[in-house]
Amino acid sequence: MVLTCPVAMGRTTRRDETSSLPRRTVLRAGALLAAGGAVAPLTGCGLFDRDEQPPPPDPLAPLLDESLRLAAGLRAAAVIHPDLATRLVPLAESHETHAAELARLTGVATASATPTAAPTDPPSADRSTALAALRQSERAGREAAIAACAAAPTERVALLGSIAAARATHLEALR
Amino acid sequence: MSSDLSEALAEVLTAEYAAIWAYGPIGVRLDDAERKAAVAAEAAHRARRDALVVQLSGDNGSIPPDRAGYALPFPVTDRASALRLAVQVEERTAAFWRAALPVSTGADRDRALAALVEYAVRATRWRRSAGITPLTVPFPGRPA
Repeated sequence: MVLTCPVAMGRTTRRDETSSLPRRTVLRAGALLAAGGAVAPLTGCGLFDRDEQPPPPDPLAPLLDESLRLAAGLRAAAVIHPDLATRLVPLAESHETHAAELARLTGVATASATPTAAPTDPPSADRSTALAALRQSERAGREAAIAACAAAPTERVALLGSIAAARATHLEALR
Repeated sequence: MSSDLSEALAEVLTAEYAAIWAYGPIGVRLDDAERKAAVAAEAAHRARRDALVVQLSGDNGSIPPDRAGYALPFPVTDRASALRLAVQVEERTAAFWRAALPVSTGADRDRALAALVEYAVRATRWRRSAGITPLTVPFPGRPA
C-alpha cells in the first residue's frame, strides 16, 4: 500500500557504511587518545599547561535557543490572553519538544539554554497585535530552520526539515 | 543523481500518484470553498509528479508506474471522513519527501524541504476545516 510512511531501514544502513571511517583509523585514534590521557597527569601543572579551549558552539545552538524563545513567547501570550491558550500552548509544547530533541542531538543540557529563553518584549495586551508578533517570530523561525536544514550534515537534515515544517504550520495556526 | 536519491524520489513519486488519486473521492464530499482548496492541493501534487517524472527519466532511472486505483485507509463516506483523509494524504506525502532529505543535497534538498513544508501546512489547513485539534504536530512527516 502506498499510503503508508516510509521506513527506509536499508538506506540508513548503507549510508552508515559509506560514511564511517575505516575501523583501523578509529582504533588508532582511540589508542592515541588513550595514550594522551595517560601522559597528561605526568606533566603536572607546568610548562605545557594551556587554558582549556571551550569547544566551539554547535551550529544548531542558535536554533535551540530560538525554540525556547518561541515557546516562552507563546506561553507569555497565553497568560495575557487566556482565551488563546488552547491555541498557543500546544505550539509552545512543540517548540519545547524541538528544544529537547536539539539538545539531545547537540549534547547540550536544555537547562543551560533556559536563561536566554525569555522573550525580549512582553506580549501586547491587544490580541491581534500579540498574534501578529507571534506570527512574525514564527516566520523568522521558519526561515532560520530552513537555512539550517539546507546547510546541515546528513544525520541532522530530517529533524531540521520537520522543525522548519512545524514552524511553518505554527504560522498557519496563528492566522 | 545518486542511486539513493533516485530510489527515494521514485518512492516519493508513488506517494504523489496516490495523493492525486485520493483527491478524487475527497473532492466530491467537500463544500465549495473546501473543494477549491482540494483542487489547488491536487494541482500541487500533479506539478510535483510531473517534475519527478522528468527528473527520474533524465537520469535513465526507472519510473514507477501509476496504478488504476489505490486502497483507501478507511471508507470516505462524508465530509468528515474526506477531510480526515486529506489530512492523512498531506502528512504521508510529506513523510516521503522528508525521507528524501538525508539523501539529497543542494537544489534537490531545497525541493524536498519545500514540499515537506508545503504539505505540512496543507495538513494543518485541513485539520482546521475538520475541526481537529491541535492543528499541528511537533514533527511533520516523521514516521510515528
